[in-house]
Amino acid sequence: MNVISRDASNYSYVNARVRSRWALLLDADEYDTLTRMGPSEIARFLGESEYSPEIDALGSRHSGVDLVEHALNRNLARHFDDLLEWSQGTLYDLISRYLRKFDAWNVKTALRGVYSETDAGVIDDDFIRAGEFDDALLGTLEECESVESVVDALAETVFGDPLADALDDYEETGALVPLENAVDRTFYDTLLRGLNAATESGTREFVKFLQAEVDFRNIRNAFRLARSGGTIDPSEYYIEGGRLFEASELASLVENRDELVARLRESRYGDQLGPALERLESADSLIGFEHALDAALLGYADHLSHVFPLSVCPVLAYILAKEREVDNIRAIARGREVGLSGEEIEQELVML
Amino acid sequence: MAEDVKPTRKNLMEIEDRIDLSERGHDTLEQKRDGLIMEFMDILDQAQDVREDVEQNYEDAQQTINMARAMEGDVAVRGAAAALKEHPEITVRSNNIMGVVVPQIEASRVSKSLDQRGYGVIGTSSRIDEAAEAYEDLLETIVLAAEVETAMKKLLDEIESTKRRVNALEFTVLPDLYESQDYIEQKLEEQEREEIFRMKKVKDKKEEEERAKAESESESEAAADAGTAD
Repeated sequence: MNVISRDASNYSYVNARVRSRWALLLDADEYDTLTRMGPSEIARFLGESEYSPEIDALGSRHSGVDLVEHALNRNLARHFDDLLEWSQGTLYDLISRYLRKFDAWNVKTALRGVYSETDAGVIDDDFIRAGEFDDALLGTLEECESVESVVDALAETVFGDPLADALDDYEETGALVPLENAVDRTFYDTLLRGLNAATESGTREFVKFLQAEVDFRNIRNAFRLARSGGTIDPSEYYIEGGRLFEASELASLVENRDELVARLRESRYGDQLGPALERLESADSLIGFEHALDAALLGYADHLSHVFPLSVCPVLAYILAKEREVDNIRAIARGREVGLSGEEIEQELVML
Repeated sequence: MAEDVKPTRKNLMEIEDRIDLSERGHDTLEQKRDGLIMEFMDILDQAQDVREDVEQNYEDAQQTINMARAMEGDVAVRGAAAALKEHPEITVRSNNIMGVVVPQIEASRVSKSLDQRGYGVIGTSSRIDEAAEAYEDLLETIVLAAEVETAMKKLLDEIESTKRRVNALEFTVLPDLYESQDYIEQKLEEQEREEIFRMKKVKDKKEEEERAKAESESESEAAADAGTAD
């Protein structure tokens, strides 16, 4: 979907509905309560909240934290499906571009499932039906006998050609890396395609947000590549569309982590990421830094939603906040399952 | 049993040869046992370190995968794990420590770079990387532990069997041989004494017969002399 539809968008209507959905998101007190609950108590708590339809529907097939995780994913899909259903015109295009990340997720899930000869039912459970793929296509993907047939089944989608191009590499190496990278790259390529000429102020800011997301993804991957060492070519993992790096600059920065940190300090994101970069210098792990990136994106989207209330920005902020809520609840449930303390779990949560 | 041995000089020589061989074997086995114990003590220290490493790495790996499952979700972690079918290659060669054949285990393709783990780099996070890395470290330590602990077990078995052989020589074979040697020597001495006694008796008897014969001859001569004189 490379051309923005010129139909009239219904920003007011969708934003009004989104505001009512915002009210359903958990607040800090509810998170505080959840961190003191065990996994079964969390499932019961969710069963009495707006997650109850999903908990009830999946209760007979899953239990414990698996039930919580699948219910969270299904609830996420239901809410994002609603967004697509409410929206029209340009707004629909913008939202569907962003939600295509779930199509990418589902393609990777199908590839991994078929590659490792996983049961079709398990693959089906792992799909998050929040993108544009319909049930028929997902059903076809989970029933495929080989990776090649998954690629064939996706021929009519945006992922079709890039996957077909990456198929030779897959056949040569026997590893899914080329196909997975092709899927993720396609998502980012189509995210910004045709948007740079946007004239509406809200859409322009939305583009800036997407550019920040691409920059943050490049930063994240640059640190991961620097940490991994080896002979990986950073330009293979560079995503175009951001405003921070060129592919050649990123390749040289990956070889020297100190220079990469210094470059980020001087960048437009220096103020937001400063404390996280300081922590990164003293720790080997990237996890704290990735938290800071997530929090920065969440904060940026929230800021945009207030500055441009009649644009796609409030919808985008809601999508991120909902995703974060799902991540946080899952983290609490899984954390409690493996015996993490309330304080340890709270450190891992990312909240506005 | 010493009484079962025929007390002959030939047997005595055979037993003396066996004693000589057994004593040399006993010394050699004692040296081997001491050498094995020294090797074992070295490996024991290494095994304790490796065991501690396995426990520590296991805890770390569990911690990282628990955190990855919590933060990324079980579905994402399972998916990333399913993206690679290739297994590490384990090769086993043998190494000789004082006659004990111990395995030398080498694992290749355990530690992988980011692009060798199967899952795509662009769409995943460092939590997955750190969980994979922690399990790669754990697997390498387990392979090392398998090598060290198998060597330790084989050395222990060998020390035990060498100790049993030394004890058998020291407390059974050599005492039995010494006993047989003593028995045969005593018997041979006894036989020698009997022989000397018998020889003496024969000599005495012969001397007595000769004396009797001489006496009868002298008597007959005396009688002849008396007849001539008449």
